[in-house]
Amino acid sequence: MIRVIDLSKSFGALRAVNHLSFEAMPNCITSIIGPNGAGKSTAFNLIAGTLRPDSGRVELEGHDVTGEPAYRLAKLGVARSFQITNLFFGLSVLENVRFACQSLESRNRFLTRLDRLSAPVRRATEILEEFGLDESADQLVGNLSHGDQRRVEIAICMALTPRVLMLDEPTQGMSPAETAEIDTLIKSLAGRVTVLLIEHDIDLVMNISDHVIVMHQGRKLFEGPPNEVRASPAVREAYLGAEHAAA
Amino acid sequence: MLQAQQQAQTTDIESRPAGTVAGRLLRAVRSGGSNSTLLRQIALVSLLLAAIFPLFGGSFFTRLAIEALLFGCIALSVDILLGYAGLLSLGQAAYFGLAAYVAALMYLHVTQSFWLVLLTASASVGVFSFLLGAVAIRAKGVYFALITFGVAEILSKITHNTRAIGGSDGLIGIPVPSIRLLPGLEIEFANNYVFYYLVLGTVCLLYLGTRRILNTAFGSVLRAIRDNSDRVPYLGYNPFWYKLLAYVMAAQIAAFGGLIYPLLRGFVAPHLFGFEVSTKAVVMSLVGGVGTLIGPLMGSVIITFLESVVGSYTERHLILLGIIFIVFVMFLPDGLCGLAQRTFGAGRKVKP
Ligand SMILES: Nc1ncnc2c1ncn2[C@@H]1O[C@H](COP(=O)(O)OP(=O)(O)OP(=O)(O)O)[C@@H](O)[C@H]1O
Ligand SMILES: [Mg+2]
Repeated sequence: MIRVIDLSKSFGALRAVNHLSFEAMPNCITSIIGPNGAGKSTAFNLIAGTLRPDSGRVELEGHDVTGEPAYRLAKLGVARSFQITNLFFGLSVLENVRFACQSLESRNRFLTRLDRLSAPVRRATEILEEFGLDESADQLVGNLSHGDQRRVEIAICMALTPRVLMLDEPTQGMSPAETAEIDTLIKSLAGRVTVLLIEHDIDLVMNISDHVIVMHQGRKLFEGPPNEVRASPAVREAYLGAEHAAA
Repeated sequence: MLQAQQQAQTTDIESRPAGTVAGRLLRAVRSGGSNSTLLRQIALVSLLLAAIFPLFGGSFFTRLAIEALLFGCIALSVDILLGYAGLLSLGQAAYFGLAAYVAALMYLHVTQSFWLVLLTASASVGVFSFLLGAVAIRAKGVYFALITFGVAEILSKITHNTRAIGGSDGLIGIPVPSIRLLPGLEIEFANNYVFYYLVLGTVCLLYLGTRRILNTAFGSVLRAIRDNSDRVPYLGYNPFWYKLLAYVMAAQIAAFGGLIYPLLRGFVAPHLFGFEVSTKAVVMSLVGGVGTLIGPLMGSVIITFLESVVGSYTERHLILLGIIFIVFVMFLPDGLCGLAQRTFGAGRKVKP
């Protein structure tokens, strides 16, 4: 579905992503894990058009999309969320989701009056129900709890009816109960969409991932099914090493 | 983990303006929206007052009211940019001045046809705003304001130093043409009342047209851009084109004011491009209420009349403008319309 080939990106002397290659299979959950600063978010930035890679390629269903701007990738069906909540905080929950749905409308409707543009509102309402956000539809996103804001992040991605859903630590800052809910939610989405999931914590991704990629210092350290990840001595080394360094 | 990430992402994800003046204004406009019932009522009352004003105003004040409406066009254009696209332009007078000079030169040397002048001025402003917008919009945050400010100043200096178009004296003795609305229906600008109602009518149309255009899918993209421009591309919109379109549209509205100005005052001068006019337009929007469309027009009437009254006592009316600006930014950043919304909006909620 989405393939990354030999992708590299440096910030000055720092090689944030170093010859990274992997493939995310259709309608599966592929997780990228790794310690702090491993280059996970940078890899997302390269795939979703936030940053241009120094070298390497990104392919979407066999088409080269390397260096395409974010708005075009979104049109092509790549939706991403952000590690740090990145929403329209001054607009209502409904308007956030409606606005995302509106981007599916044909371009020649862009001067249609909003009250005549009902399809995005209908779809947004459905999505809010699915995500359990319908109660807070009229609230400003800025006034929501952190957990609900993280839900809106996923909701506006799904509003784009994407082919690839890229989630950057969707459960970041959530309680264990909320995290479990989000994991169930993500699992339920996987049948419809290819999921690329960044997680910081190995344990969280184990039961929902089909495929796991471990990154460390910009490189891919390990790749395989979840049950093999923890058995890998290299992975244990990286995680323990990072924790030693942090301590 | 969070801290490292925060640091990493602020470089590509522009942080929202927080303590800045623009940030304050932006936060103030979030609650409103040009479509609330109350704003429509305010617009209607303003129109009624404006419609009967010449009955009491006398010819001096009627002409002053025309001037207020023309400068109101710049304020309206500032509001489209600041209140909808989140862009603070400090050079909207450039388009007022450009249209005024094109019109003056055309009347003096080329033609007496209002429609031909309208077309030329509008086309020049269209081309110029497209080119400048395409450059300025790529600049982030405060640099947009600086570029627009700088270019307006350059235009002012160029006209100031070019003898062929009057230099520092500007152009005087501009003939006042009549407009042929329909074959056989000529309208004279020489009559103050006809002139006033013509301008009032056109400004109303500009206001309604703007309100209509911003109440569309296009307008909702602008509101999203104002709220968080960096998130917009990930939802499939290219913010550049939306901002540019808003910029070109705003320039046309400012240009209308400039197009009519020489007919009102009979002269144009380099100061029409200047910083004073541009910032005055920002203060007008602020006083009326940024993001309300009707507020900036009200603000223009208030500031223009205040300036005229104060100006007859002292030369230092700019100080007054500065004080008004500071007071509103500090105590009433959502302007008079915001005050009205809070007063009457809150009053209504108390009743079941
Ligand atoms: N725009 C940038 N400019 C400079 N350095 C950056 C930039 N983005 C990331 N980095 C650096 O690149 C390295 C990888 O960062 P990245 O955000 O990809 O890590 P991560 O795996 O997502 O870590 P975390 O778990 O903390 O989110 C870090 O050392 C970071 O400081
Ligand atoms: Mg990260």
